[in-house]
Amino acid sequence: MWQNYLFPATVQEALELLAHHGGQARIIAGGTDLVLQSQRGQCAATVMIDITRIPGLDAIEERDGYITIGCQVTHARIAASPLIRQKAEVLALACGSVGGPQTRNVGTLVGNVVNALPAADGAVALFALEAEVEMVDASGRRWLPIAEMYAGVGECTINPCAQLVTTVRFRPLSDGWASAYQRLANRKALALPILNTAVVVGLEDGVCREVRIAIGPVAPTPFRAREAEAALVGQTPDAEAIVRAARLAADAADPRDSILRGSRDYRKAMVEVLVRRALTEAVTKAMP
Amino acid sequence: MQLKAVGQGVQRLDINQKVRGTRKYPQDFNMEGQLYAKVVWSAHPHAVVKRIDTSVAEALPGVVRVITYRDVPVNEYGINIYDQPVLVAPRHLAGGGQGGGKVRWVGDRIAIVVAESERIAAHARDLVQVEYEPLPVVDDPRRAMQPDAPLVHENRESNILKHIVIRRGDVGLALAHADVIVEGYYTTHHVEHAYLQPDAALGFVDDESRIAVISSCQWPADDLHQIAHMLNLPEDQLREIVPAVGGAFGGREDMHIQHLAALCAFVLRHPVKIVFDREEVTQRTGKRHPFYMRYRTGATRDGRLIAAQVELISDAGAYASTSIPVLGNAATFALGPYKIPHARVDAYTVYTNNAVTMAMRGFGATQPPFGYESQMDKLAEVLGMDPVELRMKNLLDVGDIAVTGNVMTAETGVKETLRRAALAAGWREEDGHWIKPDLGTPSAPYKRRGIGVAVAYKNVGYSLGFEDKATAKVELALDESGEIARVVVKVAAVEVGQGVLTALAQIAADTLGVDMDKVRLALVDTSETPDAGSSSASRHVFISGNAVAGAAAQAKEKWQTILREETGEMHVEAEYTFRGRSVRPTTPFDPETGQCEPHISYSYATQIALVEVDVETGQTEILEFWSAADAGKVINPIMYFGQQAGGVHMGVGYALTENYIQQEGRPRARRFSEYHIPTVMDMPRQFESIAVESAPDPNGPFGATGLGETPTLPTAPAITNAIHDATGVWIESLPANAERVWRALRAADKL
Amino acid sequence: MLLKMTLNGEPVSVEIEPDDLLAQVLRDKLGLIGTKIGCGEGECGACTVLVDGVAVTSCIYPAMKAHGRRVETIEGVAKDHELHVIQQAFVDHAAAQCGYCTPGFIMAAKALLDTNSHPTREEIVAGISGNLCRCTGYYQIVEAIEDAARRMG
Ligand SMILES: Cc1cc2nc3c(=O)[nH]c(=O)nc-3n(C[C@@H](O)[C@@H](O)[C@H](O)COP(=O)(O)OP(=O)(O)OC[C@H]3O[C@@H](n4cnc5c(N)ncnc54)[C@H](O)[C@@H]3O)c2cc1C
Ligand code: FES
Ligand code: FES
Repeated sequence: MWQNYLFPATVQEALELLAHHGGQARIIAGGTDLVLQSQRGQCAATVMIDITRIPGLDAIEERDGYITIGCQVTHARIAASPLIRQKAEVLALACGSVGGPQTRNVGTLVGNVVNALPAADGAVALFALEAEVEMVDASGRRWLPIAEMYAGVGECTINPCAQLVTTVRFRPLSDGWASAYQRLANRKALALPILNTAVVVGLEDGVCREVRIAIGPVAPTPFRAREAEAALVGQTPDAEAIVRAARLAADAADPRDSILRGSRDYRKAMVEVLVRRALTEAVTKAMP
Repeated sequence: MQLKAVGQGVQRLDINQKVRGTRKYPQDFNMEGQLYAKVVWSAHPHAVVKRIDTSVAEALPGVVRVITYRDVPVNEYGINIYDQPVLVAPRHLAGGGQGGGKVRWVGDRIAIVVAESERIAAHARDLVQVEYEPLPVVDDPRRAMQPDAPLVHENRESNILKHIVIRRGDVGLALAHADVIVEGYYTTHHVEHAYLQPDAALGFVDDESRIAVISSCQWPADDLHQIAHMLNLPEDQLREIVPAVGGAFGGREDMHIQHLAALCAFVLRHPVKIVFDREEVTQRTGKRHPFYMRYRTGATRDGRLIAAQVELISDAGAYASTSIPVLGNAATFALGPYKIPHARVDAYTVYTNNAVTMAMRGFGATQPPFGYESQMDKLAEVLGMDPVELRMKNLLDVGDIAVTGNVMTAETGVKETLRRAALAAGWREEDGHWIKPDLGTPSAPYKRRGIGVAVAYKNVGYSLGFEDKATAKVELALDESGEIARVVVKVAAVEVGQGVLTALAQIAADTLGVDMDKVRLALVDTSETPDAGSSSASRHVFISGNAVAGAAAQAKEKWQTILREETGEMHVEAEYTFRGRSVRPTTPFDPETGQCEPHISYSYATQIALVEVDVETGQTEILEFWSAADAGKVINPIMYFGQQAGGVHMGVGYALTENYIQQEGRPRARRFSEYHIPTVMDMPRQFESIAVESAPDPNGPFGATGLGETPTLPTAPAITNAIHDATGVWIESLPANAERVWRALRAADKL
Repeated sequence: MLLKMTLNGEPVSVEIEPDDLLAQVLRDKLGLIGTKIGCGEGECGACTVLVDGVAVTSCIYPAMKAHGRRVETIEGVAKDHELHVIQQAFVDHAAAQCGYCTPGFIMAAKALLDTNSHPTREEIVAGISGNLCRCTGYYQIVEAIEDAARRMG
């Protein structure tokens, strides 16, 4: 596997180390994806740049109208955070469904995103929260919408051999807004999802002002069911409207056949069920 | 005899070390200067091996030796038939024996790389170059039975390894007169034992120049027998030491690693350690047989079973392993514990290029219950009769005749298990009729509740004429006053987690009339402990328990003589061999009729599952579960509970979450993240274990039979019958995972 | 590389390879064989140890991550020959059969009870949902942890 393991003390130092090793070095956070990938020959980096000891990257906080989460924050901390549970419940539920406690204690939300799998629980929730990530590299810092981080299955537009994600942020869900998470898996813990969906709804006077439906794995990246969302905006989210939206989501979904995790058929049918349930739950919670 | 230990929940002998983490498993042993070995596995499920080039690997610094077919004196092994090559030879050099010239599944081995470190060995194994010529793969036994199917073993005329028939009465006539007939075609899947401790072994030459291995296993004496053949050495020049074993469940009955470590030590005269990783255990070791089972069952209108016609086809995989005795067992249990006067069973086991299949908790008694218990519920539905009531009418009793013509004897306690389980689950009996409980309200509008019952039984001890025996030695150290100060029991009964050490100590203690804390069981070591047979067939309490009781009784007699005669001796030794045939000789199938005395003894179980099925997703949740077993006298109630709960865990995985998927002979469920045994969250929320001691076996020690396997058998059909009760659909293939149930609902227009 | 950590209360330094995983270091370099390897991919919890009080699967945990940290393994749980309350409860409830999963369960239980001394049954179940056992069916393990919590007051 790798031949060197380093702990930079600052973001700047991390970037310098990456630059110094010219593509041979790679960011490691919890390592819950990266260690196995290295063992299986899917990661060629020879130097690990461990970012978990850089001060200032471990906060979950609300500031300037955003909730921000540092890149060292683990799934376990998010699942247990009162702030997240109150103002972005879908993320707490999603992170709480990852693997088992030990994996959640070590694996980070940012790692979950950069690893770029279409069903990654944390990432799917962040799609519904329309999160942005702060990326830093030699040319400076900038915020990217989460959707722009994906190039394909397991492919992130951010290069962890040269770039670093410091923070994730999104708008907290205020009054009139609510979220829900639905997940189907072969067993109740320690199982990647057959299908998952994260939903955020904003209601105004009983009418949907905004709806966001994210689904995985039904496309090469976490998927936003835009037609389904549009069909609900401006509508009263009654059972009929929700069913209609869920059907549109299923129509748009394009899952693969997986011998381990379920056929395309089944997953497509389940999109309708999970999206309907998630919408119903979110709408109920959003009602005054 | 006063029972102070037997029947009590005495503390397990090994548990203190286990909770401290000091109990050593084979991977925890190391020797000064040991080398490390890695296996080069077959890259194909079926291919001719044309060339093996080890030169690049051997040139790697730190590599000590690449062991190949050339190094194996007699290149064949196998627990029943020597049909497995130890290391596959290239075709042009294959020669005699099973050296092979071809690989027949992905668990075949080409070479063993031995190096100074594990890292180097792992690196070097990728450098061994093997040229293959792929052959057509047969991955379905039904296809493999066809005359034009490619042969897995070219020296045979057909892939059919064995065909067993049972004929009783006149099935055709009986079915013609039946008021109702139900049919079904049931399939079960490959299942991985998933014992938590990956196989590991340390081979070395001991100080008496024996080739020795420290290894996990289930039957050390049989391992030695096979290793002796393969190394062409007398057994007394071999030795196996068995420390703690991290689960087995039949999966270590065949050799996976000990013979390889022995071979390394034999070739190099140096300690060599091999540890499999989980991927090797998952992909390169044996599985439970998939069965394809066709049932036709006929009954009278008032619910009396009169005839059954059954066809069983099992997938033996690439090598015989114990497929023939597993099939034999399956045939004897094909009808379930029911009185059925007319029966016809045809059972086949067939070679394929799939994973080798072997013993696994139930040994052929695990698959048929899915068939016969689904049939019982189908019948109950057609007859409009309660499923408990239908079963009560037909269960075997003492004196009834089973399908193989044998008369059921004193330990037939099945009815009482059903009665106790049904009552616990809320059934009521009124005027001879059984009435199902009210199931309460489902937790969501899209969920349905259902309750399902299943009954099963299983032999205790080896079957069908295969001799079962165990030898135990009991040594007493006496104190000055002539009282027993210490007891050492020597018996090669491998503790795989089932608690055999403790149970045997309890039996020894009460037979001798001493306290448990005086009794110690010696470490299993073929050079010290006499052969007690395998940790399988739920047999140790019965067979080895009798051996220990016998040796202890003799030791006690000798001790009492010493006391009486005041000889002043301070040491007593007694050895006793118990033979199953001394209490009930078993016989092989009659080749034409299948009639025989199949088994030495039995245990029985009834299980009931209360489930909730999500009819939109197909997911099943088990809310409550009752398991009532009769294995005669309970030796240790806490361990009894543990066997029931553990058996049910395996049954729940079998029913719902586990599936060792292969495609064209290639593993697709390759590791724990892809092969899902139930987590704590997947277990029934409420679980009740009911110990039914209604039918002790007078031949068993203190009346006990054996409980190791039976609690796994009825779990799957109890759950699928509950799914049917909830939804109205029959699940005829396992596992009943969400997608499968959803498909059945969709096919029945019930979504 | 030199790995320095506090291991079961004692300072330890050990020379390791940069890509060693914590389980390998504990087992192969430090001889602490109580930490078991069941899967090597974070799926079974047999290798669970505590790092600064938090349960991690040491089979996929880069050993260097433990540098400067407080590591607890099963060997450090019993104090002076006396079993820890959790261990005693495992003994009393026969919560170990083959025992291979046991150290991992005890460490997961310890992480739970060290931070939550009155867990509900649901919290216990969630707390050990990253640990697999093939022998016991889990009930006796859950009961042992409940009992340990009671005994710890
Ligand atoms: C047993 C087990 C079960 C699991 N179950 C689930 C599950 O149910 N659902 C699920 O979604 N996931 C699951 N996972 C995967 C999940 O743990 C990871 O996706 C985790 O969130 C990744 O975070 P990490 O900190 O461990 O990342 P690492 O493994 O350290 O890194 C992952 C990737 O992100 C890069 N990276 C990490 N941090 C940064 C950063 N700050 N900037 C730039 N690049 C970075 C790395 O270079 C690497 O490419 C499971 C993993 C295991 C071992
Ligand atoms: S061995 Fe580490 S989780 Fe299985
Ligand atoms: S006791 Fe054997 S795996 Fe848990």
